[in-house]
Order: sequence, then C-alpha cells, then structure tokens
Amino acid sequence: MAGYLKVLVADSNAERAALLEERLREISDAVIRRVPTGGSLLDAVAAEIPDVVIVDMARPDRDALDDLRRVSTDNPRPVVMFVDRDDRAFMEDAIAAGVSSYNVVGAAFPDVKPIVMAAVVIFRKYQQLATDLHQARTSLMERETIDHAKALLMKERNVDEPQAYRWLRRKAMNESKRIAVVAAELLGSAKPEGAQE
Amino acid sequence: MTAGSVFRIGLLRLTDAAPLIVAQECGYFAAEGIEVALSVEPSWANIADKLCYGLLDGAMLLPPLALALRFGLSGSAGPEKIIVPAALSLNGNTVTLSKRWSTAIAGGDTASLGELSAVETAQRFATVLRRSREKPHLAVVHTFSTHNLLLRYWLATAGIDPDRDVTFSVVPPAQTVEAMAANRIDGFCAGAPWGEVAARAGLGHAVATSHAIWNNGTEKVFAVRQVLADQSPSRLQAALRALLRAAGYCDMPANAQAVAALLSQEKYLDLPAEILQTSLPGAASRRSGGSFANADESVFFANAANFPWRSHAQWFLREMTRWGYLGVDADLATATAIFRPELYAQAARSLGLAVPAAGVKSEGQHSGPWLLPASPAPIAMGPDSFLDGARFDPAP
Repeated sequence: MAGYLKVLVADSNAERAALLEERLREISDAVIRRVPTGGSLLDAVAAEIPDVVIVDMARPDRDALDDLRRVSTDNPRPVVMFVDRDDRAFMEDAIAAGVSSYNVVGAAFPDVKPIVMAAVVIFRKYQQLATDLHQARTSLMERETIDHAKALLMKERNVDEPQAYRWLRRKAMNESKRIAVVAAELLGSAKPEGAQE
Repeated sequence: MTAGSVFRIGLLRLTDAAPLIVAQECGYFAAEGIEVALSVEPSWANIADKLCYGLLDGAMLLPPLALALRFGLSGSAGPEKIIVPAALSLNGNTVTLSKRWSTAIAGGDTASLGELSAVETAQRFATVLRRSREKPHLAVVHTFSTHNLLLRYWLATAGIDPDRDVTFSVVPPAQTVEAMAANRIDGFCAGAPWGEVAARAGLGHAVATSHAIWNNGTEKVFAVRQVLADQSPSRLQAALRALLRAAGYCDMPANAQAVAALLSQEKYLDLPAEILQTSLPGAASRRSGGSFANADESVFFANAANFPWRSHAQWFLREMTRWGYLGVDADLATATAIFRPELYAQAARSLGLAVPAAGVKSEGQHSGPWLLPASPAPIAMGPDSFLDGARFDPAP
C-alpha cells in the first residue's frame, strides 16, 4: 500500500463514520480503517499504524493521543495534531463541529487537508441535525407544557382556553420570561394530581 | 468575547471543578454581572483546543498542560496565548494500586496502609517490584498532568525508574476504575472521586495522596485566553472575584454537603453526592473513626490556594524537564510568565483579601503551619513539604 495514505476513523457514531468512509473513498485513494465500536483508540492506532487519525472530539480517550506526540523508542512515529496555521477559520470550524485530526509527522500536508475538510463537512452536517432535533424536541415539550398549564388554569379558574392563554402571556410579559417558562413554573407550584386537601 | 456576551468556561467531571460549578449555581458570577455558560468537556485535549481557538474563553486546566501549551507540546497549540490568572485548588489526587499490588505493599492487610507514609509505601512498592520482575501498568490522566509528575516523583523517591520499571499509559479519569476492573491497568493516579470509587468497588487501595507527595501543591488552575485579559479586563476581574468568593464557600466544611449535591447533578459529575464529599474540605472529620482514606481532601481557598504561584509553575517545569518532556534549552522564564499573580492580586484586593508579598515562594521549607508575608496581613499557611524532604528554591 506504499504511496497511499492510511486513514483511521475514530468515531463513536457508526452511521457518521460510514458516511465519512464513503466520502473519503470518493475523494482519495486513501486506505480507510475504523476503530471498532467500544474499541480503544490507542490500541487501534498501534495496530493500524495510520498516517492520519480522524477523531470524534466527544471521545474521552483523545487525551491519550497527546502521549503519542512524544518521540520515544517505543513510538518512533510521532503524531501531531493537524493544524493549518494559514487557515484559522478552518481550524475553528473543525473544533466547533467536534472533529479533530492527527497525522504522522511527514505525511504530506496537501494530501491530508482534503481528508480533514471532508470530515469537517460531515461532522458539521450531523451537528446541525442534532441541533435541529434538539430544537424540535424542545419546542414540542414546550407546547405540551403550555397546554397543560392552560388546562390547569381553565379548571382552577373556570376560564376558557383563550383567556387562559392570555393570562400566561401577560404574566410572561410582566416577568420578562418566555411563556413556556411561566407555564412550567405554574405547573411546578401546583399541587400534584390527586393530592389531598 | 465581546462585552455583554456570554463568558464560556470549560470544565471536566472532577470534584475540584467545585468553585466553577458553585460560582455558576449559587449566583456568584451573576452577582458580578457576568453571564457564564459552563461547558462540561470530555477531555483535556478538548479544553486545550477550544481555548486556543476561542471556542472557550476560560477553563479549569492542569498547570503542566497550561505550560505545555506554551511550548506547543499539546493540543493544537493554536494561535492564542493562554494565561493563568488564578489557581482553583490544591491537593486532591490519589495513587491507587490494584488489590494485588496494594495487598503486597501492605504485607497482607490493606487496613494497615493508613499507617504507612507515602515514602514507606513507595519503598515497599520498590521491594515488591524487585521480587516480582513484573512491570506493572500505571495510568495517568494526561501526559502533562500533575498526576503524571506526582506519580513519577513518588516512584523516583524509592528508586523506581518510571520509564523502565513500570509502563505508563493515559486513561481518562472516568475510565480508570473500569480499566482496573478489566485488569488493563495495575494502578492509576487520578483526581477525586476515582480513588474512592475504585476502593468502594473492592478493586484497589490508595497508597499515596498528592498531599502526601507534595503538601499543598497547586492542582488545578483557571486558565483564560490572553486576548480576554487584554480586551475585557473588567470582565475577567469580575470572573475572578466570583471564583474567589465561590472558592471561599467551597472551602468551608459546613458547605460540603451542599457543594456535593450541586456537583452530583446529572449535568455535572452525575455521581452520588456521598462519594463526592469524601474529598471535599472537612472529609477527614466526616470519616468514621480510624477508617482509611481513599481520597485526598482538596483545598479551595485556605493556604493562599488561589494564588497562581510562579514558583509552582517553575517546579512543574523542572519536573517536565526531568522526565524529558522539555529540552534542557527550553525557555522556562517565558513559560513561567503565563502565571499572572498581578491579575489575581487585583481581584483579591478588591474583595479585601490579603495578597502575598511575592510571586514566588520556596517549597519544602515548612512541615507545619506558618505565616506567609502578605499585605495587608500575613496569610496562615499549611505545610509545603515534599515526601523526600527536598527543598525547591525558585528563581526570583
């Protein structure tokens, strides 16, 4: 395999890793290996001896890679973090997307950068999906909270739904809070269902 | 960070993150008029990279790692200079060996470990090693950690060569216990509560604490980007004041239960409060009589704990040079200068706290309580001995 870069992908998200692998095959002749799920990053690096390691920053064992940076007799291939000193925005993007990359000293920079760039694009896409999902879940939960608060007000104060909603909205405006927060507070202070008087 | 924006601070799931968590949860940051977002990070490398590239404004950090960043030895060695305007804690780590090795050191009964000094446990470990001809596998949480340097110091005190007689690897603190359970490691040096967790699982025992190796050495520091100090000095001062007040709160034994409850929340350490209390101030008096400590008590405020001693930076740099992480020609003076006692002093003075008269002090000179020259009044200090009785005289 001389002449080809060997890339080790250490990503605990199997779906994302598969996507990255596919993308890397499209753009390069690199040999792709994956760290097995639940496997040790360091063991995989020792076994595969890759030129480039793409690491999911959520992995706690990334700290072990700093140890590999030292040149020693046990470790003749020093590993450095991929840093593009001329493109700071790119490095910020990578860190913000939650991906970092290490390469063996001597791996040609122009060969490594497209690989890291592809990883950043895919990680960023997944992060956007995760954010969207979180927001969707949050807004759904908030809507349920507001509905429950309205129901409580309607029952306790004998008002109709628009009146209950107006009450919540007024209180939110007066207290500079979001309606969902006021609703949650109202439910939190209400007696648990079925509580004895 | 621009004025009015959120101050992003990174931390790891460790008991000595307490001052940051308390400053946030008890409203010390808010009282100083700053909005802080705490970010629980999975690794020290994440904290280092995010600080260097501006995705965090400040963070808890290992002092040797802060120094290593200056030399481009760790993380991405990004474009931003990182400075240390305050320290967060003293002590707090244990050297924990597996049941097999700790039983051998104890001579059978691990209950007797509590009667041995750290020098004695190191010497017995050396004896056991000579007989066994095995190379035990020891883990530290990061190459550039207080843990690595203290564990090496402990081993070397008994003539054990850390690079020849044992093998070292890096294991994240939260995975040390699991690694010991799976027999992947024979011992580790890590912060609380992991020594306690390992002991409760019946996997091993503490054979030394960071306090026993070096009394009251700096354990974690508060690091920020230089650009923050330059562009938003008043916001940095506000953060430091909040941290100093929170540190004072964390240091009171009466508050340990409340602090442990805050830390134990799912979004922070996600561990039982009762375990976290074993390394919080006053832990010794809470332990049932004579029972053995598998945790080392952190100091958050007493003994001028928050002062970023340049002499402590010098000691860490000397040890980093000793073990070959830094070349003999490394510019140590420039690295030491990332510790910024004058930024601490400004915050401390505005709170009416005494400020040490000098940025350095000698170590290993006091085996008991003493008074540190400070303004306006001297500060009561604890001992600063090393287990081998050595003395460290800093450069001025």
